[in-house]
Amino acid sequence: MRETLFLKNTEAFAESMIRCGVRCHFAYPITPASDVMKYSSARLPQCGGRMVQMESELAVANALAGYACTGKLGATSTSGPGMSLMQETISFMAAGELPCIMLDAMRVGPGDGDIVGAQSNYHQATRGGGHGDYRVIVLAPSSGQEIADLMPHSVRLAYTYRTPVMFVVDGVTCQMTESTTFAEPHDYSADFDTAGWRFTGTKEHPKRFLLTGSYTHQQGYEMNERLRAKYAAIKENEQKWEEALVDDATVVVVGFGIHGRMCKDLVASFREKGKKVGYIRPITLWPFPDKAFAKLPPSVKSILVVEMNHGQMIDDVRLAVNGKAPVHFLGKTGGDIPMCTLADMSGMVGKLLDGE
Amino acid sequence: MQTLADYYGKTLKFDKLFSYCPGCGHGIVTRLVAEAIEGLGIREKTVSVVGIGCGGFSHHYMDIDAIEAMHGRSPAVAVGYKLGMPDNIVYTYQGDGDMSAIGLAELLHAANRGMPITCIMVNNSLFGMTGGQMSPTSLAGQVTATTGKGRDVHLHGFPLLVPELMRAMNGVAYLARETVVTPKTITKAAKSIRNAFACQIDKLGFSYVEVIVPCPTGLKKKVEDAYAWSANEALDYFKPQVFINKLEQSNEA
Ligand code: SF4
Repeated sequence: MRETLFLKNTEAFAESMIRCGVRCHFAYPITPASDVMKYSSARLPQCGGRMVQMESELAVANALAGYACTGKLGATSTSGPGMSLMQETISFMAAGELPCIMLDAMRVGPGDGDIVGAQSNYHQATRGGGHGDYRVIVLAPSSGQEIADLMPHSVRLAYTYRTPVMFVVDGVTCQMTESTTFAEPHDYSADFDTAGWRFTGTKEHPKRFLLTGSYTHQQGYEMNERLRAKYAAIKENEQKWEEALVDDATVVVVGFGIHGRMCKDLVASFREKGKKVGYIRPITLWPFPDKAFAKLPPSVKSILVVEMNHGQMIDDVRLAVNGKAPVHFLGKTGGDIPMCTLADMSGMVGKLLDGE
Repeated sequence: MQTLADYYGKTLKFDKLFSYCPGCGHGIVTRLVAEAIEGLGIREKTVSVVGIGCGGFSHHYMDIDAIEAMHGRSPAVAVGYKLGMPDNIVYTYQGDGDMSAIGLAELLHAANRGMPITCIMVNNSLFGMTGGQMSPTSLAGQVTATTGKGRDVHLHGFPLLVPELMRAMNGVAYLARETVVTPKTITKAAKSIRNAFACQIDKLGFSYVEVIVPCPTGLKKKVEDAYAWSANEALDYFKPQVFINKLEQSNEA
């Protein structure tokens, strides 16, 4: 049954993962992600699942990996300092080709940082905070509705590519309460057959073992080449973004998450005044939507990247733009208002339109 | 003609030579684990979660599924696995470095959680694979690669008594320390390992066996002398005993 609920967006994450078939949620308390586990601890038992509170993020991630070894899809939710602790195992899961769904409710860092929202984990999420040549698919929804809409897609990605999939949502969006319409519950993981790789005992298959290291240099090389090919396929096939009014734009604003959401109003207000401003909102942060930038029209004279950090996605924008137009940055993080306001963004776009 | 497989069953593989050094205690413990699995008839539904170090190779000599976990996290992986497949049998096989140093938190919380998984710690009082450094279980005064003048307990702490840490935990169904330094003790170790798996099969709770073994290479001793050292020095501190056995209680009931 479709249902519209008025929830915090952390709760929307929990509700949508449960509706998509996730039956085990491993977590450790951390602000602002803790509401996910509070919600799922009450809700999952109603559907035959459970929230498993572990003793640390290290244990969370490893229990998630052990669960994935049985061919089932588990989830976790945390924030920056917790995500840092999970990195060893995310590298392990990427190498072991184990699927899972993760939420990083981003707050400001480094160190223990502060609990206010931020987008400071862009580099960690998209570059792989752990060691080795690996990538994780990173989705950056900008509302509770988009979290719910992306959840079935994330399950498909996790199983199709056998990889961890991470939602990065800034702490501001996570704490917002809004109406979200959830689709009919459906166990999307049941649509995928894991019999070809899961570690369920030799009754089902000849001996299998999960080895993320290598015994010979040749084996190690082959594993890394296999991963390289997989990441190339993801890069080619899975870029996602939203854009509007780019075709004739003079200035294009780029933002993800909450700043991406604000672009809609920003651009509308400039267009009302006849100013040619458009926007691109990356939805996948890895793979970064290079394709959106490959087709930028010659009318574009400047690009403005707005982030809730000191400038992280701007690196990817510059690579994608590849010198076709100057790329500028506006960013704020931390404090009582931890983000750029619409006025800040309008002021900067105005300057760029004036050719400053 | 009777083959080794006819005699031992399928769990232990004979087509691969052990990578363990000659005289290493791992060889005996690996065989005991394989025999327990074979004897209990659980081979086809058993998965081993091995640690980093020499013990990480143990599953290569068995025809069972296996997961090689990182950095002592095997018990947490086993907990997650058991949640996914509650009717399968999962055990961790780790050395004292992997389990009592970097992985101690995961072990103790898994024990306290009481979920029916089995953990086996092969304790040779040092880090074997990385070159004989001090482990939490190195004895006072023990010379290792990183304690050239012997372990000074005031600097490095005291040798860690791992099962003693777990004996007050209600979730623990079987808890024992054994050794394989003599044929007689091997028979006792075999029984404890089997009991630990039996506890899991009966879903009685968490089970754990520590096995004191020699590492001739890390100790830099001849095989004979390494066994004598374990039998005398190590067992003097790490006393073999069964601390908890809920199998007996459940049989009595
Ligand atoms: S280094 Fe020690 S523990 Fe490792 S295989 Fe050799 S004897 Fe055994």
